[in-house]
Amino acid sequence: MSSALTRLLERLPLKKQTAQSGIRVFSNQEQQQQEIEDDEEFRVLSLRTVKQQFQKRQQVRRDPITPPRTGRMAVDQDWTAVWPGPRSFHPASVPLPLRQGFTERGAAAPSKFANAELMKIPNFLHLTPPAIRQQCEAIKKFCTPWPKGLETEAKWQRHFPLEVTTTDYCQSLPTIRNPEARRVTISLKLSDLEFDAHARDKFLRLVGDRYDKDTDLVTFVTDRCPQKKQNYDYALYLLTACYHESFVTEPWEATKSEADMEVYLFERNQSKLSAEEILNWNAKEGAPKVVPSKSFADCVEQLINEGENEYNLGKYKEEVKKMLNIA
Amino acid sequence: MKMHMKHLDLYSQAIKTLRWTQPMRTLSTVNTSSGIQGNLSPAAPAPEPDKLYSKLEIELRGIDPAVLKSYTWFATTAAEHLGIEKGKCWSPRKAHHERMTLLKSVHIYKKHRVQYEVRTHFRYMNFHKLTGSTLDTFLEYIERNLPEGVALQASRTELQEIPEHLRQPPEQV
Repeated sequence: MSSALTRLLERLPLKKQTAQSGIRVFSNQEQQQQEIEDDEEFRVLSLRTVKQQFQKRQQVRRDPITPPRTGRMAVDQDWTAVWPGPRSFHPASVPLPLRQGFTERGAAAPSKFANAELMKIPNFLHLTPPAIRQQCEAIKKFCTPWPKGLETEAKWQRHFPLEVTTTDYCQSLPTIRNPEARRVTISLKLSDLEFDAHARDKFLRLVGDRYDKDTDLVTFVTDRCPQKKQNYDYALYLLTACYHESFVTEPWEATKSEADMEVYLFERNQSKLSAEEILNWNAKEGAPKVVPSKSFADCVEQLINEGENEYNLGKYKEEVKKMLNIA
Repeated sequence: MKMHMKHLDLYSQAIKTLRWTQPMRTLSTVNTSSGIQGNLSPAAPAPEPDKLYSKLEIELRGIDPAVLKSYTWFATTAAEHLGIEKGKCWSPRKAHHERMTLLKSVHIYKKHRVQYEVRTHFRYMNFHKLTGSTLDTFLEYIERNLPEGVALQASRTELQEIPEHLRQPPEQV
């Protein structure tokens, strides 16, 4: 800029400038004017030239921008080499004519260049089918096939009755920990454990709500310990403790009354006494007691234990008729 | 959002350096109910036997249902390549909206509120009959390629035999 000024001043000395502009700097201006006209051709002051020169100076010479590399991509290139890992969208590397965004009616959606919406969303360009195939081939050697003898659920439940359920959490929160991850659930079918009658009853009372009658499953859910492994050990300990404890008969268990009974037994109940009374109503003294038949006993037990339904009621009716000899 | 380049060779190297339970000889027909024993090679220490998982349930949570859908497609394709049996993969029709109505101003102006909403979309995938090594491999592969903004819960059901001390009733003391 300063050089431009000096150049201007060289061409047009100050005296001439002032003469043209009309400012009288020196007293001998008029004489100089005449002198100028006689000597050379009239030198025109063009202030515009200065500005143009300034503009030319300000124009920075830029290198031509290379076109995006999508123009040079072969159709059968190896895409896994172009986009090997997760990356935010780069329009000049993706040879697809994508458009994304809202515009007024009739206008085309904004193109992929400088499109913030395309850059914001996670893309799966690193997980194209050939990439997945390649990566799966690489990790296949770490996998093992499912054993041959365990195709159906029945088979594996027979050999492996115990089921242990655990959960893992993968999240991008400020913390990667999740307190739910230490929860362990153990489930087992009651039929897979060996019990006698007393042990089974006691086990069911110890276990309480954890037993599901419909599916015959006992479930233990533990999360009181800080680690998953500890919770698993604790769950197994609970199972073992309940199992062993159910075989131990405490002295206070003898005080079990009819109200505590979990099933109805004909032998212990009023029904037997009533039936005997009816059958031996008119018996002589010393005569052998007539005992209600076993089928009657079974039928009464079934009626009370299983509930009243058509079959049970019908069977009870038949038994009563048989017992009382009613045709 | 953090984005960084992962080159394929680095990725595969990372996988190779991870310590895996050495995949055992394929468990042939199980005849006895005794524990699965591994082949003991004389030089290496005894490897643990492979575990058996009857089910792997994956629950995905995210804010963008399209991302979840793409991810599900990726996971099921990977399972197909690795020979894992695919179970029911489904998504509820509606998202879970968590709405908050807060005061717009710092002080007073109780009648002027502002409302925010967070929509969480869910997606479920089930896979059946996986061995321990397969499940670990598959789950690690899935988790490494989890996109940003998506949370994953993987619930696995392991099959085990009844412990020794529970097989017979205890001897009475």
